[in-house]
Amino acid sequence: MTTVAPEKSGAVLIRRPGPQELHPARTHRRRRALELSLAVAVPLLLILLWQLAATQAWIDDRVYPAPSTILADGWDRAAAGDLWPDVWATLKRVLAGYAIGTAAGYALGLLMGSLSLVRAALEPLLDALYVVPKLALLPIFLNMFGLGEGPQVALVAATVFFFVWISTMSAVMSIPSGHRDAGRVFGASPWQMFRHVLLPASLPSVLVGARIAAGVAVLVIVASEQIAATNGLGHLIFDSRALFQNDVMFVGIVCVAVLGVVFSELVRILGRLLTPWAPRDRGRGQS
Amino acid sequence: MGDPHPEIHAKLHATDLTRTFGRPPRVVDALGPLDLTVAPGEFVCLVGPSGCGKSTLLRIAAGLLRPSTGTLEIRTVSARPAAMIFQDYGIYDWKTVRANVRFGLDIQRVPRREANARADEWLARMGLADFAHAYPATLSGGMRQRVAIARALAVEPELLLMDEPFAALDAQLRMILQDELLEITQALRTTTLFITHSLEEAIVLGDRVLVMSARPGRIIAEHHPPFPRPRTGDIRSDPEFTSLKRELWELLRKEAAPA
Repeated sequence: MTTVAPEKSGAVLIRRPGPQELHPARTHRRRRALELSLAVAVPLLLILLWQLAATQAWIDDRVYPAPSTILADGWDRAAAGDLWPDVWATLKRVLAGYAIGTAAGYALGLLMGSLSLVRAALEPLLDALYVVPKLALLPIFLNMFGLGEGPQVALVAATVFFFVWISTMSAVMSIPSGHRDAGRVFGASPWQMFRHVLLPASLPSVLVGARIAAGVAVLVIVASEQIAATNGLGHLIFDSRALFQNDVMFVGIVCVAVLGVVFSELVRILGRLLTPWAPRDRGRGQS
Repeated sequence: MGDPHPEIHAKLHATDLTRTFGRPPRVVDALGPLDLTVAPGEFVCLVGPSGCGKSTLLRIAAGLLRPSTGTLEIRTVSARPAAMIFQDYGIYDWKTVRANVRFGLDIQRVPRREANARADEWLARMGLADFAHAYPATLSGGMRQRVAIARALAVEPELLLMDEPFAALDAQLRMILQDELLEITQALRTTTLFITHSLEEAIVLGDRVLVMSARPGRIIAEHHPPFPRPRTGDIRSDPEFTSLKRELWELLRKEAAPA
């Protein structure tokens, strides 16, 4: 809420309706239209500028191909079916790793949030592991699982695990004691306590962590595919650069961006369905 | 009150004031239409059921919100004549007590030396001198609200707006702070709009008590507590006090109880 600018006439300060109050529907409509057109216009303008720069040869279009070239190339590859194996490979790894990491992170976060002894035992260790860049663990996973899907999935799972673990633990710890007390007085069993109090009370913040993790999962899989994979979008991006196919490289980058946005939006929509009581758009600014 | 045109000399004058929230088809009428005239130096208490638009009226007066229709005029030469005291969250945890009291003066760019002097004066007056360098988190609820009062009054506002300032305090502390506020406002004669749920509080403090209806809030009754100024908290045991309180409660009960 912004403050209303004071309006003066003589020695009297007058508070009176502004345009927003006099024409609420119109003001709202205009505001929405403006927001929507800005959201479309700014990216569009930047793409047009890029297109112009490439066609006018301000930039080297062999290194930075024009958006139209990238689009045409992407369309051709998609139509020919060359693109889908890589997209599918990446998607499979992300989803598998995400599922494992979320489940493990949630379980451990819940346990550590509710039992202080478990927390005392594991927190220093996990805190230390948390700060290690997960990509640095890839060699270990390669040794563990050999080549193939194993190390890729493990890397995504490890990354996601830490985000979900931390947000779950802090969410459970910040549940007001009054919520637990009310259940305890009624004699709730541990399972009832989880089902009626801990799960719903922690869910909104857990979902914020899960949403952030969704974006990071895509980020990390692309990096690891560049290092140790024979397919996937990360491999496509790196490989095509090595073959001087810069337009293919950009097609890969665009695919990654679309994949990341769609994935984290799906998690957000799922979260909204799961927590109808929570304020909307939580964590939008935090991700 | 025999003046046929009180609005000419009024400090604050509201005409056909309304406020709605939301957009069609889900529009909530929060306030009014409401007409109100407040004389300079008058202490007006507003009582009414929860959600009747009392706070909305105060926020319009403060300039935080615009009315949907009608106008509210404040006779002043200043662009920001009002200070507001909130029920909670009004004072900042990251500022010391003295810095909190000085906040309004800092915003008005009063020189530091003078601002400190004025803040210290108010701290002494509110019995907070020993806590000048403490952080609010270490204070009790009553102390915190004294800080809020000192902060509002330190800028010497022409219009003091109080939104249920004592609602979060316990009953004893509430009475003590009412008595303190009574003493201060009788000395300063600042024009005040005071919102409360407590009829007792309204009668103790107010020159005038306005009873508001359920949403959308309109003024349904007006009473002048018949206790001469300067008054003290002793009037609480006056038989007239009790009968006025009962009279107001009869009115309010019809509004507060859902039909």
